[in-house]
Amino acid sequence: MSYSVNISVEAPTENQIQEITYDGTEIYQPPLTLSESLAKYAQKIDFSKTSEVEIKKEESNEDSKSDTDSKDAFQSSLWPWDSVRNKLRNTLQEVCVLADVLAIAKDKRYLVLDPVQQEPLETKPMVQIYARKKALAGAASVLLAGSEKMKNSQNEAARSRTTLDFHIELLRLRQNWRLKKVSNTIIGDLSYRTTGSKYLQTGTFEVTKAEDEEKVTSPPSSPLPGGPAPVKPTSALRVSIPSELQGVAYIEVLCQKDQEDLCTANLTLLGSGPPPSNPDMHWQQKLEAAQNVLFCKELFNQLAKEAVQLQAPIPHMVVGNQIMATVLPGIQLIIALRHSTSSDKKQQNPPPSKSDHDHVLEHSLHQLLREVHHKNTHHPFPHPATGPLGPSKKRMLAGPTAADRYELLEMTKTQTLLEQIVQQAQHFIMRMRTEYVLDTIAKEVKDPLITSHWNTLNSPTQSCVKIHISTHGYDAVCRTPLIIHVGEKSLKCICRDGKVMNMSYEPQELRDLIFCHINQHQILAVQALAKTMGWQALGNSNHLGTGTVEPLGNASSCLLSSPTGDRIIAVRCEPSDTQVSVAHSPRQDFFPSRLVTERKWEHLGGQFRDVRLDKMEGRNFLHKMELLMASLTSSS
Amino acid sequence: MGVTILSQFFLDNKTGPQTIEVLSKRIAALGAVQQGHFLVDCETYTSVPQLGHQRTVHVLHNSEQPATVFSLLDNGTKITSLATDGLFDLLMMKMSHFYTSKKQTKVESKGLRYEIGDFCVKLGTVTVSSNCKGILVEVEYRPCVVPAMCWDLMKEFLQGFLGTAAPTNPPAYLQNKMQDIYFPIDTIHQYLDHFTMLRKKLFIS
Repeated sequence: MSYSVNISVEAPTENQIQEITYDGTEIYQPPLTLSESLAKYAQKIDFSKTSEVEIKKEESNEDSKSDTDSKDAFQSSLWPWDSVRNKLRNTLQEVCVLADVLAIAKDKRYLVLDPVQQEPLETKPMVQIYARKKALAGAASVLLAGSEKMKNSQNEAARSRTTLDFHIELLRLRQNWRLKKVSNTIIGDLSYRTTGSKYLQTGTFEVTKAEDEEKVTSPPSSPLPGGPAPVKPTSALRVSIPSELQGVAYIEVLCQKDQEDLCTANLTLLGSGPPPSNPDMHWQQKLEAAQNVLFCKELFNQLAKEAVQLQAPIPHMVVGNQIMATVLPGIQLIIALRHSTSSDKKQQNPPPSKSDHDHVLEHSLHQLLREVHHKNTHHPFPHPATGPLGPSKKRMLAGPTAADRYELLEMTKTQTLLEQIVQQAQHFIMRMRTEYVLDTIAKEVKDPLITSHWNTLNSPTQSCVKIHISTHGYDAVCRTPLIIHVGEKSLKCICRDGKVMNMSYEPQELRDLIFCHINQHQILAVQALAKTMGWQALGNSNHLGTGTVEPLGNASSCLLSSPTGDRIIAVRCEPSDTQVSVAHSPRQDFFPSRLVTERKWEHLGGQFRDVRLDKMEGRNFLHKMELLMASLTSSS
Repeated sequence: MGVTILSQFFLDNKTGPQTIEVLSKRIAALGAVQQGHFLVDCETYTSVPQLGHQRTVHVLHNSEQPATVFSLLDNGTKITSLATDGLFDLLMMKMSHFYTSKKQTKVESKGLRYEIGDFCVKLGTVTVSSNCKGILVEVEYRPCVVPAMCWDLMKEFLQGFLGTAAPTNPPAYLQNKMQDIYFPIDTIHQYLDHFTMLRKKLFIS
């Protein structure tokens, strides 16, 4: 006390640590305000013990007034610095007294200062050791508990190695699907927007972490057929799909004739029928199914919109989930959206598909919308950087090539999806009808053989068939080729002589044409055969005006004479049957009569007598004719 | 697209509208059907002196080719023609520092459009800043694209309703390309020739 040392006191630069958690995070105390810290430091001033009694006395006085504890006594008093002031006053008094005492003691006349014997401080080493031991044991137990916990979690992870890590799964998901993080959730997008779709409905799904449930114990009950990836035991990842995209959807295309199905096609993107939609389905299949639903919805939406807008002679009908368009008179194209959610899947199972399931229409619908998508994103090159995007390449070139207004008007015409699919359906029916007519004729007519070759290369709206009419065994002598172009609503037949016949969609017209050509073929073949036999063709007619009237077309005929000219064969071909007659030139039944007396008139030729072809030998008509001509030639 | 012949027509002591009226009566008597209107306009830009040797750019639009802007660059010795799409107009606006146009030089020919069989006839009044300067008759024969092959036919048709005023020789521009295939730019060349002639006439009279 006799000497003083300068002590500088300053606050530490960082706040005091209140607590250190196990993971090492330090929790700081909030910094004190200026007045708080001043009050704190004032409180810390160590006044001598002697004054404490007085302070206590004062505080106890204050306690009796207000029921606060001694620590915040100074706060509750009238003036916050009251206690400090008291202490300082007491200190001042003491200092004054001390100074007086010292001044008196200095004189050494009235007062003498004697040193006082101090008691040695008692140290107890064992107590210290025990205290340290206890503290160390406490620290050790904290560390041991921590290491135990870490070991446990390590073992847990090792045991559940079969379930895939959430982050690995997420990585796989990200490789195939678009994901983004919105605050704390992961949102994915399965719409076709990035590939050019302009459909408004969003296809967002949410990715969450699957909780550890009893799923681990249940092994996969049935492996999915044709799944792209091997079935995982469990997935650490769960995708939640909006309710309108759940379930299974497909587009059904039906060609109906008087309520009778002509063809049916089911469109499913997965191809393998309705996939099971149990909740434990793998996310990949779940997302693919949802995407399929979205695609089908967009396709149907587009078709329905066009069906309402199009001005067809027979208006298209849109009722509920079904579009009905008239393809050809009496034949309707029905496009329906079938969407079954998982709950009522069992009842709504589609009936087993018909035998004439058509994959072409199924594929076309699919392809048409993809094409639209493709066009939306792929603009034709080159296009100027300043030019507008969107117009076709043809329109882009219209300016520099100086297209006139008619060409420009033509360019604005585009075909809608519905128009295209209707055209394809029309062509499909035309092709089927043509096939049917050709097959039935080939079955009905045995004598000239009818073979048809369908071109393997064709477009969705045009195909071509080549027909050969020939006689078995006489292919080299004569064959009649025909080419039929099957269009959308009409047929075009190019005949042997280059004539072009245009026919409507009625199958009867084609049937008549083929029969007409069969007759002509028979007559031409007989003439060709006659030439090889040395007979002479006297004349022929493809459309004979005489004889009985045929139900369709005209009969064709020809007249042949033997090499020596003494025999004449007349052939008449008509769809119902073929007539052959023979005449002898020196007529054998010539008897002079009163009008024709002279013998020379017998060379004019006699009466034609019918040959009963059905009684003749020979495989077919030409064979019989060959035998007939041979026999007539040899007898002369 | 066919061959087009453009010729001037005027009648003594008759104003422009009266001449048009006479002609439309004649063509209607031949059985032509009116099919809307047409417009061919020409704007002329000249290069600023800083670019050196003076050049002229004529920018023409023809309502028959609505998506196209035709431009002819005339450097005194040679004419370079260009057919572009509508963005060329915007490009010319950007180049206003190098090529300037005088508003009173804008020429246009507009009027009625008639169709008679394979022919398309257009009777146009040429105006320079809303002053009528003359009459241009355009006749197009659409099935043919080679001028030499249809010139005689067209001459005869022109004589049918223009009388003695009809041209006896092919237009000067076409004379050395009678055997070539005719393109819409050739029509524009003919228009430009006539427009330049009519402009000069303005300065003379």
